[in-house]
Amino acid sequence: MSNRVEILGLYKDLETAAAAAEALVQGGFSEKEITSISSGPYPDGVIVKDEGRSFLRWISLAGGMMGAGFGFLLAAGTAWLYPLHTGDKPIISLFPVGIITFEFMMLFAILGTIGGMFLEMGLPGFKNKVYDPGISQGLIGISVSCQDGAQQNKAVEILQGAGAVKIRNEGQP
Amino acid sequence: MSMKDTDKKERAVKYKWGMVIDLDRCTGCGACVVACHAENNVPFVGKELSGYGRAMHWIRIERYWEGEYPHVRARFIPVLCQQCNNAPCEPVCPVYASYHNAEGLNAQVYNRCVGTRYCANNCPYSVRVFNFFEPSFPEPLDQQLSPDVTVRTKGVMEKCTFCIQRIRRAKETARLDGRAVRDGEIQPACAQTCPPDAIIFGNLADPKSRVFRFSKSPRRFRLIEDLGTDPSVIYLKGGGHEHVR
Amino acid sequence: MSMSDEEDLTPEKVEAVQQDLTSSMNPPTWKWFLLSGFLGLVVIWGAIAWGYQIRMGLGVAGINLPVMWGFYIVSFVFWVGLSHSGTMVSAILRLTKAEWRRPILRGAEAMTVFAIMVAGTFPLIHLGRPWKLLYFLPIPNQRGLWPNFRSPLLWDIMAITVYIIGSSLFLYLGMLPDLAIVRDRSSGWRKKLYSMLAMGWRGTAHEWRVFARASTLMAVLIIPVAVSVHSIVSWDFAMTLVPGWHSTIFAPYFVIGAIFSGVAAVITLMVIIRKAFHLEAYLRPIHFDNMGKILLTVSLLWSYFYFAEILTTWYGHKPIEWEVFIFTGEKYCFLLGLMVLGNSFITIPALCFKRIRRSVPAMLLISLFVNVGMFIERFLIIVPILSHRNVPFIWGDYRPTWVEVSIMVAAFAGFALLYTLFAKFFPIVSINDMLEGEHFKSEARLGRAKLKTIITDE
Repeated sequence: MSNRVEILGLYKDLETAAAAAEALVQGGFSEKEITSISSGPYPDGVIVKDEGRSFLRWISLAGGMMGAGFGFLLAAGTAWLYPLHTGDKPIISLFPVGIITFEFMMLFAILGTIGGMFLEMGLPGFKNKVYDPGISQGLIGISVSCQDGAQQNKAVEILQGAGAVKIRNEGQP
Repeated sequence: MSMKDTDKKERAVKYKWGMVIDLDRCTGCGACVVACHAENNVPFVGKELSGYGRAMHWIRIERYWEGEYPHVRARFIPVLCQQCNNAPCEPVCPVYASYHNAEGLNAQVYNRCVGTRYCANNCPYSVRVFNFFEPSFPEPLDQQLSPDVTVRTKGVMEKCTFCIQRIRRAKETARLDGRAVRDGEIQPACAQTCPPDAIIFGNLADPKSRVFRFSKSPRRFRLIEDLGTDPSVIYLKGGGHEHVR
Repeated sequence: MSMSDEEDLTPEKVEAVQQDLTSSMNPPTWKWFLLSGFLGLVVIWGAIAWGYQIRMGLGVAGINLPVMWGFYIVSFVFWVGLSHSGTMVSAILRLTKAEWRRPILRGAEAMTVFAIMVAGTFPLIHLGRPWKLLYFLPIPNQRGLWPNFRSPLLWDIMAITVYIIGSSLFLYLGMLPDLAIVRDRSSGWRKKLYSMLAMGWRGTAHEWRVFARASTLMAVLIIPVAVSVHSIVSWDFAMTLVPGWHSTIFAPYFVIGAIFSGVAAVITLMVIIRKAFHLEAYLRPIHFDNMGKILLTVSLLWSYFYFAEILTTWYGHKPIEWEVFIFTGEKYCFLLGLMVLGNSFITIPALCFKRIRRSVPAMLLISLFVNVGMFIERFLIIVPILSHRNVPFIWGDYRPTWVEVSIMVAAFAGFALLYTLFAKFFPIVSINDMLEGEHFKSEARLGRAKLKTIITDE
């Protein structure tokens, strides 16, 4: 039986980390299986390539539309349920309804963005994923997801060969 | 006639309460102010607080001096809530404490009021008064509290109601008798007390009522009419100086 | 410590940057306790004053029949104004990818969150019956009560709620990678807390990419909210029939005023943070120079709006508006002068000089002066206009009482306390933004000179 494991190699600087990623690609691993772990962002392609589409904007948009609907119903619908006359204003007054609709649209769009972001990141995740506190201190990690056994040994070999300071396996404390 | 029929008959009548104040008759005596305080349990705040704009009169006599000495003349206007049809105070209330009822009254629900005082700021006539402190009625004033009217608490806005308790009572009597409220049957405390009979109250929706006829007088005007608030209080004032000299 | 000499970011250098930027989180000294204790006492004093006011009634404040809104609403508008720029400046600088933004963002975003929290308490304090607060909220109940969505106060509640939630999330979002760094640097209960807050952030390439996308999106979304919040605050006034308030220019005028006071407050805080946490190497004269240019722009805009507003009143000469105009000019002449000096006549010429913009003490002075001016501006919009409204018989006057002053001072202390606590628990300068900037820095030889360059990612 073969399980997928994640192996992490830690590098001292950007160049060696990028070289390690390159070596992994040369060694037959796909871009999808490799990722970098760093305490700062790098433009896409500097170390690894993150392909795949993002739905974040659509989630925000959906949130915004839901919020607009909710805000409209709250302002217009409840005014209609409690038809109290005030001044010369109609029960369902478009301008105030517009303002409340706008505020809820923005609120839900913001919540959608944050929620969508966590969804896309796959967070929160408190399980023991492969990580090293050294990353916070400037080390750059190259992590590769592979089958245990022969492929794992090969990955370790490549990472080591690229000059890793340290190699970590998934679940290792 | 059954109860149901009388009910129907009474409900079919349309009421639109209004008031006419004849400034050519007003002497500025202030009886209306006193009567209002007594009828509506309006607290007295004392000289000092009154001087700092904390007085709570629901109706006040505004006195303006005109001319230079020795040709000075005082003019009086009793000002109370104008019961505007397009009341600016109503839509700004966040909790519907101020709203418009079916009889054209600008109603104030004390229990709902949270005290934002937004309505008072938006009232162009500044007739809304606020309970800055818990109202007190030291002896023997507590003996004369009207049982028909609630005593308000601190932090609540209040104002003239056209003596809504008297309107309600008259309507109940009329309903039992199966008729509409008669003209002159309802008198707010201020109108009842006014010695020169300068204040006339009644149903503006009834073209035969006294208040309606006076409201069409060529001497009519309304306060700050250009704001478009459409007040239900109509003032009468002669054109020339002959009325006051 | 200078950071731009070497080309590569070595772990040693990253460590040094992190140590500098988290210095505010070092174990507190007795000075810190003294400061926090003092601020806490002032806040408690304000709470006592409020309690006294709740017990006695609003009469213990200086408000009266014509002037129904006083210092509380002045403070409310002032604090909402301060809350404006933090998030707005941060969002605009992020979107335009202004490289110098990096050390300013976090402090500005935190300022927004705390200022709007302080602002949010004032409408509650000014209520006649604050214990009836629930009447404001759309909660179905058996009493048949419902809020009136046609009232600008309801718009206010909604907008401020959205802004508090939005700006807090914006602050949190920017802090997420930093929380992971702090998590790895801490131990004990702090580690547990930061682990929870960091949500298991590791910093994979995928996470970083989603993070960048979400940051941009949030920046885009938060700007219209910020604009709407202060527009609605202005509509609390402009929707009324009060002469002097009922004006179409109010919404943009208030938004500009808010950005003006907010940018000034960001500068004040930059000076304080720089001094308190020894971040001279990070908050450099260039940052004050750039913020000074923004302040100059907004000051010009504010002066323009103010002039347009005053000119219309003066030329129109409507009797009642003219009365308010003259009354303000006569009774509040000194305050008016101080406001115009602080907001325009001193600020604009001074900020034209690079030497002044690059001088930290001068910028501190100017930024404080602007905020004094903006506080006066709000006072002059509310109190004199309410004093002389349509009915001359009711014209009056307003004298703030010790209760109002205590609560107002407590608000400043409360803000400072929240900010101090925040700086103790979270990095006050964004570590990940600083490091990102470092990655993109480079040097290029051009002719005989060696120049600093930024690698852009377009």
